[in-house]
Amino acid sequence: MKANLLGKKIAFYVLIIIVWQGIDSAEIWPDNIFPSPIEVGEDLLYGISDGSLFYGIGTSMWRLVIGLSIAIGGGMLLGIFMARVETVNQTIGSLVLGLQSIPSVAWVPLAILWFGLSDSGIIFVTAIGAIFAVTINTYTGVKNIDPSFIEAARNMGAKGGQLITTILIPAAFPYMISGFKQGWAFAWRGVIGAELLFSFLGLGFLLNVGRQLNDVSQVIAMMLVIMGIGILIDGFVFKKLEDKVMTKWGLR
Amino acid sequence: MGKIEAKNIIKYFQHDGKPLKAIGGVNLTVDDGEFVCIVGPSGCGKSTFLRILAGLEKPDDGEVLLDGKKLVNTGPDRIMVFQEGALFPWLTVEDNVEYGLKVAGIPENERHDISKRYLDMMQLSQFANSYTYQLSTGMKQRVAIARALVMDPDVLLMDEPFAALDSQTRDLLLVEMQMIWQKTKKTIIFVTHNVPEAAVLGSRVAVFSHRPSVVKKSLDIDYKRPRVAEDENLGKFEKQILAALRHQGPK
Repeated sequence: MKANLLGKKIAFYVLIIIVWQGIDSAEIWPDNIFPSPIEVGEDLLYGISDGSLFYGIGTSMWRLVIGLSIAIGGGMLLGIFMARVETVNQTIGSLVLGLQSIPSVAWVPLAILWFGLSDSGIIFVTAIGAIFAVTINTYTGVKNIDPSFIEAARNMGAKGGQLITTILIPAAFPYMISGFKQGWAFAWRGVIGAELLFSFLGLGFLLNVGRQLNDVSQVIAMMLVIMGIGILIDGFVFKKLEDKVMTKWGLR
Repeated sequence: MGKIEAKNIIKYFQHDGKPLKAIGGVNLTVDDGEFVCIVGPSGCGKSTFLRILAGLEKPDDGEVLLDGKKLVNTGPDRIMVFQEGALFPWLTVEDNVEYGLKVAGIPENERHDISKRYLDMMQLSQFANSYTYQLSTGMKQRVAIARALVMDPDVLLMDEPFAALDSQTRDLLLVEMQMIWQKTKKTIIFVTHNVPEAAVLGSRVAVFSHRPSVVKKSLDIDYKRPRVAEDENLGKFEKQILAALRHQGPK
């Protein structure tokens, strides 16, 4: 069953590459508009051999990790506050919903004005693009906690910060994981988008270099790398984390 | 002076936007080491009354005294066993039982010693590392009782803890509950809507009236232990409780 599924997937991607190569061989478009898979592969290999690809990935990941950490920390705090203090929800809550509808790249001009063309600016865009998804999911999670959990804990003497760390966060964690997942997806878009517009390093920058040099195969190669990293992090970090939490909480 | 005293407790509910007097001045004094069952018609506010004793809800009037001191907040001197157990699904059985001790800052090895004692008592030792979703409803209530007992509370408050159990499991726990009470000499207040359960468990049964509820009658159940539900001699106590429930006067 599982081998069968893997087989289907491999066959599908092999087919794509064959069709791609076929279109290229038909010479409908010139090579500088429609590169062959071999040219894209060569570009990737070149990036690997001179290390520029790894340096780009490393830079983007580093910015992502910092930005996402800020988003997760801040989003959890804000979400818990919104869920537990009605006034905060009525005031900041409505603003959060509005801010979440702003695409991350729309923060780029503000980031440049505030932070200049710097890492801080990119991290700002990454964090602010992700924070509200974490906030909203944390809020929903804390709101949905069985009230008897909180009562039982208070009855046994838990207060304030203890209540937050021992009850609110673990009880809301299955929801918060969805927030982290969404947050990561927004952060990844944010970091690439910001790099594309104003960075000197990172995958988004390499993508932009490809455009400036009219190097279509470099552009496609970078897009594949961005997609590949997305699949890896989704599948290996968040899927695993989610499975573990769902099993432990008895939700599946 | 009783161990725990409720003085003229009054509580309103919101019903269709209007206040509805649910508890209409309940007075109840429970002595140290007593096992008091509260029975009453549904909607009479007996669970709310228990929550007021626990400090999880505030009465609109009246006060609760523990050893003569007025209580304001909830706290581990009165531990509540909830109807559905309220066990934490992200913790193992052992960690659930140790939760209150951890909150109180008791060192780990001491915590283990205490929890082990009560896990043994509740026959849960082989489930110490299980998660609660792996347990049956009856097992979960055993964990909830163990979690309450480790806190060594002055008063144990139990809110229909056996309501969701099948009758076999319930009969077993009714016997165990009496043994726990005799062994630990705890003061227990136990809310139930099940009359035979009250007759089996209570050294005294307080019958609540319809809302606005008051304590309609207080019946001593003077009978040997351990009692079992099918004992016919308990029948006369059950009849007395039922009679008190029935003579409610105007609704």
